Amino acid sequence: MDFPRYHKEIVGDLLDGKFILATDAKFIELKNNADFYGKFFKETFEFYLDIKSDYAYLISEETMEMLSRDICIFIGLLCYELDKEGKNFLDEIQYAEFDSEMIDNLLDNSSYTDLIMNNNQLKNSEARKQFLGTLNRRNIIDRNSDKKFTFTPAYKVFMDFAKNFAKGKLATAGTEEDNE
Amino acid sequence: MRTEPRTILNFLSNYFDIIKELFDVQLKDGLVRKEDLNAILAEHDSDILNKLIEYKFFKKIADDYEIRPMYFKFLEFILSEFKPLLPETIEKYEHSITSLFKKIKEGINKDRNILLQRISDLNNEVRDFTEAVEKNTLRLIAETKELKSNVDKIDYREKVRKASFWIDYYITPLNTILDVSHANSITNRLLDISQYINIRRLNFDDELARQQFEKLYTFLVQTNDDLLRQSKILTNELLPLIERIRSESMILTGWIEFLKNPNKSETPFIPKSLRAYPYNNAMYFNSLEYVQQYMQNDDVYLEDPNLSASDKWIFNKEFYREQLMKELPMPNFFEWAGITLRGEYEDIETEKFFSLSTLLFEDDIELEFDPTADRQVIRTTEMNLRVPKIKIKRHGLS
Repeated sequence: MDFPRYHKEIVGDLLDGKFILATDAKFIELKNNADFYGKFFKETFEFYLDIKSDYAYLISEETMEMLSRDICIFIGLLCYELDKEGKNFLDEIQYAEFDSEMIDNLLDNSSYTDLIMNNNQLKNSEARKQFLGTLNRRNIIDRNSDKKFTFTPAYKVFMDFAKNFAKGKLATAGTEEDNE
Repeated sequence: MRTEPRTILNFLSNYFDIIKELFDVQLKDGLVRKEDLNAILAEHDSDILNKLIEYKFFKKIADDYEIRPMYFKFLEFILSEFKPLLPETIEKYEHSITSLFKKIKEGINKDRNILLQRISDLNNEVRDFTEAVEKNTLRLIAETKELKSNVDKIDYREKVRKASFWIDYYITPLNTILDVSHANSITNRLLDISQYINIRRLNFDDELARQQFEKLYTFLVQTNDDLLRQSKILTNELLPLIERIRSESMILTGWIEFLKNPNKSETPFIPKSLRAYPYNNAMYFNSLEYVQQYMQNDDVYLEDPNLSASDKWIFNKEFYREQLMKELPMPNFFEWAGITLRGEYEDIETEKFFSLSTLLFEDDIELEFDPTADRQVIRTTEMNLRVPKIKIKRHGLS
């Protein structure tokens, strides 16, 4: 049986929880063999492969996975704090370059002190540095230098999550109101 | 006495700061209240009220004032600050334009002067209509950009409220008015008119009327282009921009809700990093080694051992107990057990050794051992046992 080009790297990256970006040569191969890989990951690992126009990643049904949660907390806090400063956080995350000092500044002055202090990935500057390293390995951010980074299109997954979360909450609130 | 136009323009120029403030007040409130006027004049330490009335800038309404429409429009135009018209206000042009067009068609062969007047009126109505649309688009762009840049740092909920307001009351209805694919849109009506006028400008008998039709036709073609451009601005720029504000706020709502209790919320995302996934090198070699064990299968024959019940060793406790009692006092119990078994069998079997060890629990003997002393090793067929030196003597006797 012939396997697609970069098969080993594609499977390796996705199973390592990495996002494969459209700028990566592997992405085209993955997209061209979307049916095969969709079935492959479903049958072998019970993972769902999601291929968007500019990135692809695996979805696990393991809902208590801690890293995903920490990433959500981090991006959620970032959006909240940027909005508080009167910035359009979507534009910022899509186009702006961040540096770790700015992140430290935002999180250290955040009103979500308890949440940050109790999170091992975000509690201090050193932990955040490690955490950004993880995000970089997973292709969620792109490090431009030791301290500076930009977000890759993978950030959209988390924005969709927040949007769906709001919809779910609004729907629940609506049902509650109806019941009252 | 009629005032010199240049004097009025100089006056507007000299007192433009006050004029601008008065304009802003009227833009916001619809008129300039007496107290607002006094406050503005006091702030600039100026008393120009008489001049404002003399130059017909103000019209007095009870105790308050209103900037006359011609000045107001002029200021709107030069400041590019327009009060947005509700789409239903703009829609009124549809009726006036349709009505004039109907009368032109009906009276096409009747009075020439009336026809010329109607053509001219239609021209004016179309121009007023396009100006109203243009003003609204400019105002909507300004409002949307202001919302987007959020210089006033307004709360995101307020931002959504404003965005929704502009979409629901202005942008969407205006888009419907301008939408060419919509059968009843004014744009479509103008296209019908321009087709009719196009024929008339070429074949109408009267030359002056033909020239008027020609002028109106050129104007309509240009208007259609303008409306198409406005429609494109609405569809391509304003709607996505304002939708983005809505979407942005939806995302923020989601994050705020999520951050309230992140540990209790489901985040069904990316899988954990799988260190031992089937494609890493170590896994490959490990699997190969494992599989290779089964590559060559040697035949293995299992035979039932020919053992009968009588062959099975049975611990004859009484026999060994007697032997033990004969040897007492004994300096090292386990050594004796080892020697005894080795005297009878070739190897010391663990089972037999443990069986003999049970003699230690007999009642009529007394045990003594030093826990700090070195232990000795007894080798059995299955294991090496490290055992202490246990002295034994008869119970009660030295």
